[in-house]
Amino acid sequence: MNSKSIAKEKFVFKDMVKVENILSNYPDKKSATLPLLHLAQSQDGYITTGAINTIADLLDYHPAIVMDCVSFYTMLYTKAQGKYKVQICQTLSCSLNGADALVDHMQNKCGIKAGETTPDEKYTLMKVECLGSCGTAPVVQINNDYHEGLSIEKFDALLENLE
Amino acid sequence: MSEFKPILTEHIKDDDCHSLSFYKKAGGYTALKLALKMKPEDVIEEVKSSNLRGRGGAGFSAGLKWTFIPKDTAKPKYLINNADESEPGTFKDRLLINKAPHQMLEGMIIASYAINCNTAFIYIRGEFYKEYQQLKKTITEAYEANLLGKGILGSDYNLDVVIHRGAGAYICGEETGLIESLEGKRGWPRLKPPFPAIEGYLRCPTIVNNVETLSCVPHIINRGAEWFKSIGPEKGPGPRLFCVSGRVNNPGVFEEEMGISLEDLIFKRAGGIPDGKKLKAVFPGGSSSAILTADEAMDVKMDFDDLVAKKSMLGSAGVIVMDETVNMVQACLNIARFYAHESCGQCTPCREGTMWLVKILQRLVAGEGKDTDIDMLLEITDNIGGLIDFSKGSFGKTICPFGEAVAWPVRSFVEKFETEFRSCIHEKLVLA
Amino acid sequence: MPFIKIDNTEFEVSKDKTVLEVALENNIEIPHYCYHPALEIAGSCRMCLVEIEGMPKLQVSCNTFIGEVHPDRKIDGKYDMVVHTQNELVTKERKNILEFLLLNHPLDCPVCDQAGECDLQDYSFKFGNAHSRFDEDKRVRPNEYLGSQIAINHNRCILCSRCTRFTREVSGTSELFVEQRGYNSKIAIMEDNPLDNLLAGNVTDICPVGALLSTDYIHKNRIWNLKRQPSVCQDCSVGCNIDVFSQKDKIIRLTPRENHKVNGYFMCDIGRYGFHKYENIERITSPLHKTNGAFSKINWDRAINKIVDKLKTNVSKTAAIASSFHTNETNYMLGRFFQGLIGTFPSTQDKEITYPSGFRISGDRSPNKRGMNDLCPQIVKDLPSEIKKQKIRGIYILDNGIDTELDDTWKKILDKMDFVIVQSYIMTPLAKSADIILPGLAPFESEGTITNDRGHVQWLRPSLPVEGEGRPDWEILNLIDKTENRYIDINDLMKDMGKQFPSYSDISLFKLGDRGISLSEIAKS
Repeated sequence: MNSKSIAKEKFVFKDMVKVENILSNYPDKKSATLPLLHLAQSQDGYITTGAINTIADLLDYHPAIVMDCVSFYTMLYTKAQGKYKVQICQTLSCSLNGADALVDHMQNKCGIKAGETTPDEKYTLMKVECLGSCGTAPVVQINNDYHEGLSIEKFDALLENLE
Repeated sequence: MSEFKPILTEHIKDDDCHSLSFYKKAGGYTALKLALKMKPEDVIEEVKSSNLRGRGGAGFSAGLKWTFIPKDTAKPKYLINNADESEPGTFKDRLLINKAPHQMLEGMIIASYAINCNTAFIYIRGEFYKEYQQLKKTITEAYEANLLGKGILGSDYNLDVVIHRGAGAYICGEETGLIESLEGKRGWPRLKPPFPAIEGYLRCPTIVNNVETLSCVPHIINRGAEWFKSIGPEKGPGPRLFCVSGRVNNPGVFEEEMGISLEDLIFKRAGGIPDGKKLKAVFPGGSSSAILTADEAMDVKMDFDDLVAKKSMLGSAGVIVMDETVNMVQACLNIARFYAHESCGQCTPCREGTMWLVKILQRLVAGEGKDTDIDMLLEITDNIGGLIDFSKGSFGKTICPFGEAVAWPVRSFVEKFETEFRSCIHEKLVLA
Repeated sequence: MPFIKIDNTEFEVSKDKTVLEVALENNIEIPHYCYHPALEIAGSCRMCLVEIEGMPKLQVSCNTFIGEVHPDRKIDGKYDMVVHTQNELVTKERKNILEFLLLNHPLDCPVCDQAGECDLQDYSFKFGNAHSRFDEDKRVRPNEYLGSQIAINHNRCILCSRCTRFTREVSGTSELFVEQRGYNSKIAIMEDNPLDNLLAGNVTDICPVGALLSTDYIHKNRIWNLKRQPSVCQDCSVGCNIDVFSQKDKIIRLTPRENHKVNGYFMCDIGRYGFHKYENIERITSPLHKTNGAFSKINWDRAINKIVDKLKTNVSKTAAIASSFHTNETNYMLGRFFQGLIGTFPSTQDKEITYPSGFRISGDRSPNKRGMNDLCPQIVKDLPSEIKKQKIRGIYILDNGIDTELDDTWKKILDKMDFVIVQSYIMTPLAKSADIILPGLAPFESEGTITNDRGHVQWLRPSLPVEGEGRPDWEILNLIDKTENRYIDINDLMKDMGKQFPSYSDISLFKLGDRGISLSEIAKS
């Protein structure tokens, strides 16, 4: 089943060796959907329509099914995000330990609400659910890194120090 | 309270504890050598008789689950290590992956050997990026040391392990949701039957086990099922990692034997509640369990059966402590909002019902409650998932246990703190 | 064979059926949305929950398979399964599921196309609460086009996922998918791949509510105003079974009818919207005679007499042209009356399209080539050369009804003829070349039988009243036959037809009924 759609924006994986490795890991190549989406996102910062079409071709999937997958997961973005995705956990343990104050602080400091990006595209503020580190609440994930046990001061310093 | 000598987390304070060399020096991979000399069915029998129960949340007997794999099928079999730890209040698997990855891997290899599987997966939640990097190193070390790949340790057993990152979906921790996600689709749980042990990944027999469950396996093989059974209650024994968080002085992961009293866990190990405040309510087993009031909590042993008797569950042993400064309506809304966010949307009661709960709770929190709200909350939770008292209600309304996971906590909040909920209506206070 | 009880009725069932399948086959109503016999089981709407004795949870009957149990475990000593579909527990749960479904569903019945044939309406009335207890803001999203013919009203959608499963499993084109998750889930398409495949229209049929709508039918009418006539599609040689919905003298819409020997559950869009091509045509409503290059009306008697005269004097010099667009009866009459040369116009071959589910659109876009060849076996292969060889002077033609220019060969042939008689309902270029035109019936006005390309004979039934002075095409040929061989009516004709052509023996409209009969079945009996 080849996709019939025209790739308006072309997307090419920079590292095809990695792609081949990923594909060879699985008994069924369709299982490579998520790893390839992660790879495409690491290239462009988000998942473009071109990436969806390219991945669909590689996997003999229709692009709509790949898009179905992309839109299900919170870590996959279909729009460009800020350089630093500041993801503040808001589930119970973090909420009981000052997470809401961190959100307020960033909203005031950067002038953006949750889900928005600063005009200079440096920060995107996201409220996320449990990050699995409740013992060191409150927890903030910036891009791939966890920052745990943050007070407002530590959080502020953290934001300031991001280039 | 006597100190429990840690088994799973024995070495986590050591700087090098994640490396293969350290693990080997500490006696690691002895169990694997033993297991490879046993017949696979004997390995299953040993784990089954140890009464090891799943530590992911469901608490099903691990060894028994392994026996469900059909013996007479030509289809390949798969083992999936469920490292999609997303249950609020739970953070033990992260610790094990960071600090004792080889222990978990050894458990995986033994389990794979027992069920005749040659390809195993680790499904790790996408947010655990550092842990993913650690696992890549661990797997590489294992391949280099002939612990993975062809002819493991000179036997004729082959195993490949693939690490698969999730991308942010709590429902992918549910075993069939995980399998769907692993197959490259959206994580919509499947109808059961057929069960994964019969038709799982790619419709082949599949076993899904939790990180901590697999980490117990080497110890069972090394020291025997009887030894394991002697730790804590016989029906659900073993060392257990309890996570305590929320309003406590020393939140963290505490390894104890099954059956430790919740009171000890909160007040002794986790240092009690800051500022001298009083306990108000506590989640004993992650946010999918029913909350216990302070009085109830004082009388609880943290094991599977006692908590069921107290109309809650041990689940993932994620203890979340709430003190008198916590408003129950707000806490309830926080949890309901989590479930509404994570609902996969496949079946009607969960998709529509969880958001309905959120909307009612939002009104209550904003001081816009109605008299009918309390009964409505109870009714909706009953319609999504069942009541904890099995004799009173019905189940099976949702495809997966997510329905019960949202119904039990929300219902327990409303039932046990009804006065507080009602005061939101009548006093029309706008809360912080 | 498993022996079960559903409510108060006992059944012996074949293995590996689900409770829902057994119930539906036996007219026991278990409400359901996401289940469809042509699609994989989803089990997501939760509407078909039933109580099964011995199972602690309620079970979805669409995914509960029936098998034999060990004699020790049989209920009441004899049942492999006992199912309750109407008890208090099940009724209560149904009410609750309906309440959830209606939570965000707008109260659109007065303006919704689906009203009158809506499962949500019907089940709410039968099983639901009288009012909703939902006091919050509903989830509201704007309507969208999913394709050129399909619109979606997201607010009405209950996410049964039948449409997405259809595009994956039946048409294999996968245009539709579910976007996002949880409360915000909605049906979507990729911008550059809208729902425009040839089976797209079927999603509006399988949508149990008024979410997916056919732009061809939106707000045109109400189902209770329409007359429903089962019939057969005439846009290709597959002969999909259809329901024709009409009001007075207008066809409003077509929907597929189930027939496992022909089309399964679906039909293609060529056939679905094909009825439009018969609107706004230049219709012939009375016999016409050409004098000095222009047509003038004449009455039937005069027309028939003129033709009879012409044929008498030219009996060995007249050829006839049969048509795969006409019924078996008409072609049979032609073959019976014209003992000389008979042929057909060259047929065009379009692309044959097959879908993963097995659904087929034939490359032969005429409905009855097989029947025509069966009942007019004297059709020659190369008519133009035979016409030349036999020095034919006149032609009697059954018009295909296709409004296209003739090719040069045929223009020349017809030009040279002494007389050309055309039986047609539409003023095609072919009809224009005639000396006498006899008005036949348009496709939705005729009655008769047609045989599809797999040898399945089906009953074509009329939905529209006859226009003007048109007559059934077989009857026109009956009028020309001035002998005592004339038939009284179509049933009389069919009896004789069956005698002349044993492969069609014993066929009557009554026997064909809704599902038709295949020639191989007739041969066996």
